Amino acid sequence: MKSTVVILQRHLNKLRWGVLTVVFGMLVLLPFLHLYQTYEAAHAYDLLLPGEKSVSDSMEWLTSPFINDPVEDLNKLKGTTWSATFFGLKLSDPLAVVGQISAGKIIYLPFLLTALIPVLLTILFGRFYCGWICPATFIYELNDSLATWLRKAGLPVSRRKLDFRLKYLVLGMGIVISAFSGIIVFAAMYPPAIIGREIYYAIALDGFGAGMVFFLMTLLFDLMVSRRGFCRYVCPGGALYSLLGRFRILRIKRDATQCNDCAKCNVVCQFGLNPLRDNFSQECNNCTACIAVCPTDALSFTVNVKDLDYQGPGHLGHNYRQKQSKQSKQAR
Amino acid sequence: MKRRTFVQTLIAAGIVTFTASEGQAARQQPSIRFLRPPGSLSESDFISRCIRCGKCGEVCPNRCIQYFDLQNGVSSMDTPFIIPREQACILCMKCGEICPSGAIQPFEREMNAIIDNVKMGKARVDTNLCLSYQGKTCGVCYRACPLQDVAIKTGMLEQPHVLEACVGCGLCERSCIQIPQAIRIIPNHDRAIV
Repeated sequence: MKSTVVILQRHLNKLRWGVLTVVFGMLVLLPFLHLYQTYEAAHAYDLLLPGEKSVSDSMEWLTSPFINDPVEDLNKLKGTTWSATFFGLKLSDPLAVVGQISAGKIIYLPFLLTALIPVLLTILFGRFYCGWICPATFIYELNDSLATWLRKAGLPVSRRKLDFRLKYLVLGMGIVISAFSGIIVFAAMYPPAIIGREIYYAIALDGFGAGMVFFLMTLLFDLMVSRRGFCRYVCPGGALYSLLGRFRILRIKRDATQCNDCAKCNVVCQFGLNPLRDNFSQECNNCTACIAVCPTDALSFTVNVKDLDYQGPGHLGHNYRQKQSKQSKQAR
Repeated sequence: MKRRTFVQTLIAAGIVTFTASEGQAARQQPSIRFLRPPGSLSESDFISRCIRCGKCGEVCPNRCIQYFDLQNGVSSMDTPFIIPREQACILCMKCGEICPSGAIQPFEREMNAIIDNVKMGKARVDTNLCLSYQGKTCGVCYRACPLQDVAIKTGMLEQPHVLEACVGCGLCERSCIQIPQAIRIIPNHDRAIV
């Protein structure tokens, strides 16, 4: 009865972790490639320190099958998720464009176009960036696992719930402050941008900068105030993606005939949504954790512009069967 | 909304606006001597347009581009800068090519384009320190200059004379053998880039 497509969706969460790991790995790898490039450009292999020589050797081993001239060819792969050059294609975070327009009061077309592909993908797939690409999500989810362990060890880990709309206020205030001060404040308070930069500073320059302090504060916020609190309630990028992806076409849907009301999906959802009551809303980042955890494969991706209204209790659950038997008694 | 809340909001907004514009006025005086990468817009435009992605430093083959922490104020946090005495710009123009935001404008790596559009600063010779002016023939800065005889020329005893075309890459300051350096770049932060 269940199609293989639905059953295969159970493994999407593993694929997602693979993607997150690859993105984070690239952020670590690219500064090393940059160092290798500079060593090559200087033509001074013999003058390098032993550590630098090992960096140069390993990067040469890694890249030599693909490129001829490291100094020029490696420039095709640069940047972070905030703004990247990907084989000649420049991609930028839509939040960077919003920040530049509000701070510089200027529309710079070449920069606007770099955000076109991310914006289109967000309109189609919603907040997928938050769940599938964001390098900060990689760390935040590990931090969330840490919170679970701390909880098991008996330490108090707070799971307060605030208002989801707080982050729209942060986005609005960010735009207003950018416009008045002429500084792109989002660049200093958007975790993926900070992470990308700080990894580069730590590897290629002289260690972490001030942004790392802010990022550690957000990790503490997640532990001490709310589960994934920064992503849920503060992140301006998340707010922008939620707004853009409000009418996304790819949504997770609960199949009430398969659901047994076990509520594992609600427990596993890091964004505090309510898949059990068909409530995904614009906040859902398509992370597929609920699909992976569902024991009866009741949750799956569908193409739909709107969430379903609450379909009632799952047909395999206790409540539904009780209701059914009551109805059949009445009918008799 | 009650009238009282409205008035309170208005006052709060006014205070935020005032402090923000004060900040804008305060950030005009840099506290240290630094250069922006070649092709950068004027200082205030640069700060409002740079998205702090760090790609200019990642593409720089000479590793001369560093990033501000908090030493030049909050407004220029994470923006790129060059300290010419530590590592100077070789005018490869790759940073402008990769910059997505237009804060560093792309220009061709061609002499006239560079002379016309790159305005990082201008070199100035301290004749009291310069060895050539003290009668000891040196000429290191002249040999380090990528625009020899266009941006700098030498006179008697290889005494350097900086010309109008100097773009301020800082290679002369980097190479100066005198301590402290006898030639240094005076940054041009009010530059106008077309």
